[in-house]
Amino acid sequence: MNTMVKVENLSKEYRLGVIGNGSLWKDIQSWNAKLQGKPDPWTRINEESRIGRRDRFWALKDVSFEVQQGERLGIIGRNGAGKSTLLKILSQITTPTKGTVKIRGRVGSLLEVGTGFHPDLTGRENVYLNGAILGMKKGEIDRNFDEIVAFSEIEPEFIDTPVKRYSSGMYVRLAFAVAAFLSSEILIADEVLAVGDIKFQEKCIGKMRDVSENDGRTILFVSHNIGAVRQLCQTGILLEHGQIREYGDVGMVLQAYETSLRG
Amino acid sequence: MAATDNEEWDVVISAKRKRLGFDFKELRQYKDLVKLMIRREFVSVYKQTIFGPLWFVLQPLMSTFLYMFVFGNIAQMGTDGIPQPLFYFSGTMLWTFFATTLQKCSDTFVNNSGLFGKVYFPRFTMPITYMVNAFFTLCIQFAVMMIFYVYYFLNGFHFTPTWWIVATPLYIFQLALLGMGFGIMISALTTKYRDLRNLVSFGLSLLMYATPVVYPISSVPIKWKLLFQLNPVTPIIEMFRFSFFGSGNYDIKMWIYSLVVSVVVFLIGLMTFNHNEQTFIDVV
Ligand SMILES: Nc1ncnc2c1ncn2[C@@H]1O[C@H](COP(=O)(O)OP(=O)(O)OP(=O)(O)O)[C@@H](O)[C@H]1O
Ligand SMILES: [Mg+2]
Repeated sequence: MNTMVKVENLSKEYRLGVIGNGSLWKDIQSWNAKLQGKPDPWTRINEESRIGRRDRFWALKDVSFEVQQGERLGIIGRNGAGKSTLLKILSQITTPTKGTVKIRGRVGSLLEVGTGFHPDLTGRENVYLNGAILGMKKGEIDRNFDEIVAFSEIEPEFIDTPVKRYSSGMYVRLAFAVAAFLSSEILIADEVLAVGDIKFQEKCIGKMRDVSENDGRTILFVSHNIGAVRQLCQTGILLEHGQIREYGDVGMVLQAYETSLRG
Repeated sequence: MAATDNEEWDVVISAKRKRLGFDFKELRQYKDLVKLMIRREFVSVYKQTIFGPLWFVLQPLMSTFLYMFVFGNIAQMGTDGIPQPLFYFSGTMLWTFFATTLQKCSDTFVNNSGLFGKVYFPRFTMPITYMVNAFFTLCIQFAVMMIFYVYYFLNGFHFTPTWWIVATPLYIFQLALLGMGFGIMISALTTKYRDLRNLVSFGLSLLMYATPVVYPISSVPIKWKLLFQLNPVTPIIEMFRFSFFGSGNYDIKMWIYSLVVSVVVFLIGLMTFNHNEQTFIDVV
């Protein structure tokens, strides 16, 4: 089998709190005070005692795993466990602090539905724009355009209307439909199904299974919807405070998650 | 099952930052995105205005009338023998192109933090988008300038355009390099210091008066002249007017100096931008 994603000892550190004063003028005053040995006029109350202690924070700590071709991996964990951070690193939106990620093939990442949609552009224009943002070529979108519209179940007469006149459900469907036709070998999705009705959610999960089983596409899926993860994924990772708590068969991982939620 | 390390990987992500190089090949793969972004930007700008695209013409016309009144009539500043409307309009149009590009580019991270936080595409797409949009505006305004030009010509005004007119695309290109270069250089700072944005717009309006937009360089006292010419925008505007109207300051040395500055500023901007796009997303 072919390893598509290999994550080795990945760690990500964030800086917490307000960085600088957010204002050039205030920073200049702070520097000036420092030069003259006076106390910083912009020190926030009680801040001095806090500085240096908890102003850095590991959102991911020493995470390692591998994903094979055609594998559907579910990533679960409580709020703030580091799921989105992990996907952001895999999508090259942010850089890791330590460790490496090696990837074979193209990554299509869906961290939000409808990224870059502009309310004043029509449905058609937004499909092209969003597709291009996700890394599709114009020819690819041309070829799939009718299927995208059909998948979104939007009436064809609406497609040339600005999307600000769409219902929020229609908006999400169209946005998701674009992503469903991404041709990248690896698909990354972060809680994108939370919107849209149950029927549409099931359709999307069906579509993801389908592309994974038939085209051998690899999927990394983050969701708080345990049912959806169970339906879609074969393997799972349970993240806790940025560390892998459980890794393996999805049933076992979900079990561990449910126990930890109760415990 | 485990893949060995010497296998071929398409992407390797690690803490090590990209060197100061710039990935033009990657940018080329996203040229469809650039086109669509340009359209998106264009739509979002003119949807917010009452006059729509007409605004692109009204704005410089209004400035031109204002300058004719204030600098032409009240302050009695010369125009090197160029008809006042043409003199002010050409200056304003070129200056606006430079200033708009600079200002928009300097806000790249601030205005796109949502987009940049959700999806990866070459960040440099946005500065290009801003520059091209400003360029479209410039083209419309240029057409208006040519209407004035023909009008004066038909009314018997004798322009003596020079062969330098063929270098016009180069002047525009230079302004684009300067605007983008300075803009992307400070784009990382504007994410950290929001008040820098006010400083930029204030600085630009100040700098406009240190550039021969509303007066010719020939009316600047000799002892100040060199200082004014060190401003890299100055020789470009002067050369543009010299090319089209045949009067004004023709100083090839200063123009070459400004050409070199444009390229250097752009390259430095590109390097800092490339560095910052990888570091700044966590703090926007
Ligand atoms: N840019 C940032 N700067 C500082 N801290 C951050 C930043 N982004 C995320 N964090 C912190 O990193 C931790 C992990 O965040 P992340 O978004 O990965 O959580 P998550 O598992 O996706 O949670 P959720 O289920 O709520 O989406 C959180 O504590 C968050 O506050
Ligand atoms: Mg999240």
